[in-house]
Amino acid sequence: MNPPRNLEYEQLWLNAHTDTRAAVYTFSSCIALADLNADGDFKLIVADLGTGSTNVKLKVYKGTSLHSETALLDVPTGVVSFYMDNSEPRMPAIAVASGSNIYIYKNMRPYFKFSLPSMDVNPMEKDLWLQVRDDQMEVPVLVELLNNLNSEIGFAQLSTQSQHLLALDPLNAASFVQLYSKNPLKRQTVVTCITTLKKALADEKAVSCLVVGTESGEILVLDPEAFTILEKIKINNQDSSTIIVPAVLSAFGLHAVEFRIIAACRDGSLRVARRGWTESKLLVQLPAQPVAMTVSPENASITIALMNQTLQCISKKGKLQWVVTLPAAACALCPIPLPHQSTTLIAVSLNGGLLQLYNGRQLVDVIKATQSVSGLAFGKFGQEENALIMFTVDGSLLVKILKRTAHFNLQGGGTSANIVPAVAQQIKLQIPKKTRLFLDQTMRERDNCVMMHRTFQRDLFQLRVDVARACVKALQSCNNPISLEGAEPVKLSAQVLGLGPLFKMVIMLQNISASTLIQDVGILFHFDDKMYTMEKPFINVPMLVPGVEYPFETMIRNISELALSDQIRVLVVREGQSQPLLAAIINMPVCDLLGMV
Amino acid sequence: MNSSRSEYSNGIPARSVPKSRQETSSKAPELNAIEGRNWLIHRHFTRKEFGICKILIQEELERTRGKQEFANYIQGLILRHEGKIQESLECFQICHSLHPKNVDYIKQVARSLFLLGLHNLALEAYLDAQQISEVPDWDIFYNLGECWLRLGEHTKAKESLRQAVQLGHHERCYVALASIYKLEGDTQSAIEIYKAAVESAPDSAQLATALGLLYLEEGKYQHALEKLGGALARDPQYAQALLAAGAMMQNHSDYDVALSKYKIAAQSWPESPALWNNVGMCFYGKKKYVASLSCLKRAHYLSPLDWDILFNLGLVHMATQQYASAFHFLSAATNLRPAHAGTFLLVAISLRHLDDPDNASEAFKQASLLAPLDASIPLNYAVFLESQGDLDGAALQLERFQELAQVTPRLSPELVQTATQLSKLLSNRLRSRNGSKTDENEMSSKSKLAIEVEAQVRVRNHPVDSSPEGETPNSMADDEV
Repeated sequence: MNPPRNLEYEQLWLNAHTDTRAAVYTFSSCIALADLNADGDFKLIVADLGTGSTNVKLKVYKGTSLHSETALLDVPTGVVSFYMDNSEPRMPAIAVASGSNIYIYKNMRPYFKFSLPSMDVNPMEKDLWLQVRDDQMEVPVLVELLNNLNSEIGFAQLSTQSQHLLALDPLNAASFVQLYSKNPLKRQTVVTCITTLKKALADEKAVSCLVVGTESGEILVLDPEAFTILEKIKINNQDSSTIIVPAVLSAFGLHAVEFRIIAACRDGSLRVARRGWTESKLLVQLPAQPVAMTVSPENASITIALMNQTLQCISKKGKLQWVVTLPAAACALCPIPLPHQSTTLIAVSLNGGLLQLYNGRQLVDVIKATQSVSGLAFGKFGQEENALIMFTVDGSLLVKILKRTAHFNLQGGGTSANIVPAVAQQIKLQIPKKTRLFLDQTMRERDNCVMMHRTFQRDLFQLRVDVARACVKALQSCNNPISLEGAEPVKLSAQVLGLGPLFKMVIMLQNISASTLIQDVGILFHFDDKMYTMEKPFINVPMLVPGVEYPFETMIRNISELALSDQIRVLVVREGQSQPLLAAIINMPVCDLLGMV
Repeated sequence: MNSSRSEYSNGIPARSVPKSRQETSSKAPELNAIEGRNWLIHRHFTRKEFGICKILIQEELERTRGKQEFANYIQGLILRHEGKIQESLECFQICHSLHPKNVDYIKQVARSLFLLGLHNLALEAYLDAQQISEVPDWDIFYNLGECWLRLGEHTKAKESLRQAVQLGHHERCYVALASIYKLEGDTQSAIEIYKAAVESAPDSAQLATALGLLYLEEGKYQHALEKLGGALARDPQYAQALLAAGAMMQNHSDYDVALSKYKIAAQSWPESPALWNNVGMCFYGKKKYVASLSCLKRAHYLSPLDWDILFNLGLVHMATQQYASAFHFLSAATNLRPAHAGTFLLVAISLRHLDDPDNASEAFKQASLLAPLDASIPLNYAVFLESQGDLDGAALQLERFQELAQVTPRLSPELVQTATQLSKLLSNRLRSRNGSKTDENEMSSKSKLAIEVEAQVRVRNHPVDSSPEGETPNSMADDEV
């Protein structure tokens, strides 16, 4: 899709800040914009994944400068800002989900750590570890029994401790068991996605619950003050053994009244859960895996970017409303609410650095970044109402501000259906041009077609005769690299290595018959002895087993004083038979003159 | 709180990034959940950042000595995406051995087997999956159907696919089921399936187009046009529908409308031989022969063994009186489809212009042998024989024409006109055999005005050619002895 008015697009946004050396590795889910100090100056909170395992930090940007940095212990999954209580001044808390824990920061100080509840441990497994602890069982026996259990219930159903033990080198197993056998057995799951849900009031600064998706296929709704689990929703049916893991979560409504949680799952299903449900329901099975998702607050329609380079909109009933094919794979997506135009655009960042803004299915704006945008957020930043925060894959931070006067041309192109006929008028068929010469030739043919036809037919006939003769000749002189006659179907290929004057010739022989063995053959070289000397002018060939390729090598030295080259004939001969089985002519390369000196 | 990876790096092979934090704790450190980075792998995977993904997977697999299900699973998907089916199969097999009850892993194993062409094994795997899965899964039934089809068991394939359709109303299942019916030549059933498909997915331009094409095959032009129009309303740039609709317009000699459709289709489908063939014949219809030739030549370049294009090239070359070129393409066409009478007729006419009466006569005979009921062949033969001076033979052929003309409905008026002219000429000449020779030349020059052939223009509405019936290796003999 070619944006027709590129220049016009750019004018809507101001470049507020560019920091190419921010070196932040992050995702949309790890970016939050919040009024941390309740002073109306919105900060950018971003969790930096560092190298992916170390140097993990929670960074706060105030305006264009880095305000503070806090080291995190493990790779963060998501960052959200939310109001925990009704205390004044209204300072939001930051929740950082990481591994099995959620860390709550207030005023950028660690405030609380919530660990996901441990899941049930298989009683048999518990028993095994108890026996080991009481020294009733040897470590290798434990490992073996755990392995048996593993194949029975699956690796994912074991406790974390057992999983680590099984993944361990057997040599280190004993020390590991010694270290951990005293610990209580735990089966810990991991947070995969996190979002918020307003508790009782729809106000912007109202108290919100945390909604957490876990690797064990559950959605938990947490109370913001006591951190008790308010709702526990299983994603898949009770009886199904396959765990369906949520990849992206979105929640809206009020917890106390009515709410919906939409989960895009790793198996490509879109599921919905509502108040009071203990299981989620399948909304629709997507054609590809989800990348990013947003739910419109107005009509609850879901806009989702998929792995198959499409952006789809699905109604709250699960009906596909439209599909837009994206020019590249989607990386991230965020909603851009425009209250003054009473619409919400969807910004989609694409692989390669393009950022497209859609109003419904219609493309209204395009922003170009230097690199693919990995993390994308839109909202209040500093004093500015409409800021677009972009973190690219190479770690630079771009902040763009939407001009206050900006007005998106929402009716601009109309729907794509209307564009086409107009464009089609302008399209010209690319008909290949014909030259004057072509026309001249046409005229000539018109005048002389009989003569041309006869000449052509005669030459064609001549060609066929020549080909047939050459073919017969080759067959008669066995001058072809594949011999099919008789009981010895042999295939020959040759290779000349080296720059000269010393060459190496490698002859490959293959018996291409189905089952017969070939015996008593040899390779004979026929060459000009004034030009070349050969190490082995005759090679005795052992028995050839069908199908196997046999290499034979010989050295050839060019002894000619002049830098000339000649042909060498390779003949595969049979004992007691005057006619060769097959023959090939090898054109020797001209030898390197410097080598001659 | 788990903090120090260095602490238990004696126990666990250190992660590939060994620079862990230097903190130490006295107690046994808390263990990280083994699936801790699954979400990260998944996120990079969905964003198609396979490079990073592979590094992460490698780290995870090293850390857990290959026991990580999810890492193996994603690695399998990436490998399959890269075309390394065998390797992906191995990954999925590891997943399966780690968690034998997981239906998805079995399905992926089966899918890889299927892609490797091992349909028997894939079928078994899918049957296993079906047994393990508690709820009936349309995907399994769909794939079972595909496997049965590949194994040649059409009835079983249809059964599975029908179940798949009932379970899921998925586009793929409908298409697969309909294509089996089409394969069996049961167009009516295929139409029924597509009808149901269009009902369940009214927004799909593909399904509507497929239905339209089937109607076209059945000859229900009104229905076809309706469906194609519907498809184009949904996706005005859907090339397949554009091509079919354009071909229908072209068949009604509405060349400008057809061309406007082709123009749009050419944007998204610039390398379709069928499209360029049709464009070429549109220009032929508009008598723009040079443009027509260049389009047909492009089509020919894109698909050198396409019979339709060769035939059309011959036809257009005859129109421009380039009989040598015409013969060249037509003889290639006869090689590809030696049972088509029209080609031989054209060959015969071009040979007549190339001054090769013996072969021309052979070609005429072959043509009338292949299509004994085609009225235009004896007429053309008669014109030819008359020009050769074989008046008796011409009269015989003319008689045959008149016989055929009586049984042929909707005979072209041009043919009838030519026939009357010829019969007059013949009677004149038969009379003047004994009489003067003066007016003979006059009359014979008149006979040249007669149109020679009513050749059918080959317009293609399907982008994929149905393979030519029976290719015999060499039938050149006819015209070049």
